[in-house]
Amino acid sequence: MESKAKTGPQESPREKFIMAARRKKILAKKCSVCKHLMLATEYCCEKCSSREYETLELEGTGKVLTYTIQAVAPEGFEDAGSYAWVVFSIDGTDLRVSGFLPGVISPSTLPIGSRVMVSDYHPTHGLLLQKV
Amino acid sequence: MLNKVCVLGAGSTKYGRLNEGIIEIALDASIDAINSAGIAPKDIQAGYISNVFGVSDKQVHMAPVIMSNLGLPGVPGLTIESACGSGSIMFREAYANIAAGFYDCVLGLGVEKITHTGTIQSTTLFSYCSDFFYEGGNGASFPGLFASIARAYMAKYKASEEDLASVAVKNHENGILNPKAHVRKKITIDDVLKSPMVASPLKLYDCCPFSDGASAVILCNEDFAKKSGRPFVEVIGSGRGASSAAVQGRDDITTIPSTVAAATQAYKMAGITPKDIDFAEVHDCFTIAEIIDIEDLGFFKKGTGANAVREGSTSRTGEIPINPSGGLKSKGHPIGATGIGQVVEVFEQLTGKADQRTVRDAEIALTHNFGATGASAAVHIFKRAE
Repeated sequence: MESKAKTGPQESPREKFIMAARRKKILAKKCSVCKHLMLATEYCCEKCSSREYETLELEGTGKVLTYTIQAVAPEGFEDAGSYAWVVFSIDGTDLRVSGFLPGVISPSTLPIGSRVMVSDYHPTHGLLLQKV
Repeated sequence: MLNKVCVLGAGSTKYGRLNEGIIEIALDASIDAINSAGIAPKDIQAGYISNVFGVSDKQVHMAPVIMSNLGLPGVPGLTIESACGSGSIMFREAYANIAAGFYDCVLGLGVEKITHTGTIQSTTLFSYCSDFFYEGGNGASFPGLFASIARAYMAKYKASEEDLASVAVKNHENGILNPKAHVRKKITIDDVLKSPMVASPLKLYDCCPFSDGASAVILCNEDFAKKSGRPFVEVIGSGRGASSAAVQGRDDITTIPSTVAAATQAYKMAGITPKDIDFAEVHDCFTIAEIIDIEDLGFFKKGTGANAVREGSTSRTGEIPINPSGGLKSKGHPIGATGIGQVVEVFEQLTGKADQRTVRDAEIALTHNFGATGASAAVHIFKRAE
């Protein structure tokens, strides 16, 4: 029941999500039965268990809900410099997504409510964000 | 109709940086629990083992190895992994099998060995317990995930870094009295605030340590416990809950739905309310977690947990003592063992073996333990047997 997807049929949901992120978008699904909106990486609707859905590409912009800046980073992020791991809400929806925001050194520069956008999908750092 | 389930014995290694291999640690705690229960290994009909990172010490499929070394190669074992909640979630499975009548007496053993991997490798291994595609894979460590929860809580309820620090100070005061605790050191609010930043706003003393250790209990039905003639504790409530695996999936980041669900079930089964609990061992992997736990468990209204800790309501002599063992924060957090370590503390408290850290006149106690940021949780309620 997919529509509007610009990706090929052979990719997995996560691969499609990553390809959309490279276009600065968040790939979502809208349940055809109950209209619940979810990230495209979910397989079934958590409200009604339906697997019928419409695929949507949302603008990857939103507001910071919370975040952290870590002194000790996991492997793969040793070269990342000081960064924030951010949870943000996507504009015009109740959806929330987490991503990697490089170049953040102090909490004073990232108040809750700051605007961010998806800028790319980094091969080792994941969903790449930038401040708007 | 479920059979009554009892805890007849309990034992634990010291928590901390241990030199022995993971199987030796596991066997030491198991023998302690067997001795505590006054049983022989042959009385054990099944083994339930909780562990997360055995692969880092070159052992998976741990249950049959442990059972074989206890002289029980023909007794079935099962290894269970639910991140930091592995112990309590394993306890629930052991409980359910006794309650259903499959066994009369089983071993519940939790074990972890992690300190040999070093801080970076440990941080990385722990990040695999998150919803990795959205969390660890985007750079979040476990302190980072709880730091993001802390930031949201502090913004919503106007809690301060001093409020968080008061949890650490209280748990260290308790842990000093626990000879098996990993970090036995008195600290002040100032010590916490001046400790190095780990993941803003959480500092070193807001975080539990990486620990090695094992804890074990003997679970049995009521007939078996009574025939032993020894002191025991009855399990009167058991609950399991789940939350969205990723923090981003929760409508309110300042509460943990799995805790609320598990606690609601356990209170209902026990036929009691939070006011009836004499003390609780809760999951304080980070100071913010204990504040959220004591609200989600119904001891304090949402948004008032920090104030309760600051005013001393959760101290060992307060209105509802929280973590008299020292908690994960001071006693330590060998993640596969932690949930069983809480049951060990309850057993020792309710059978008069807690020495200086005894909570006076306690009869009913609660344990609460979760995996990751609360994606999975279990709550159990215990009563001193008459």
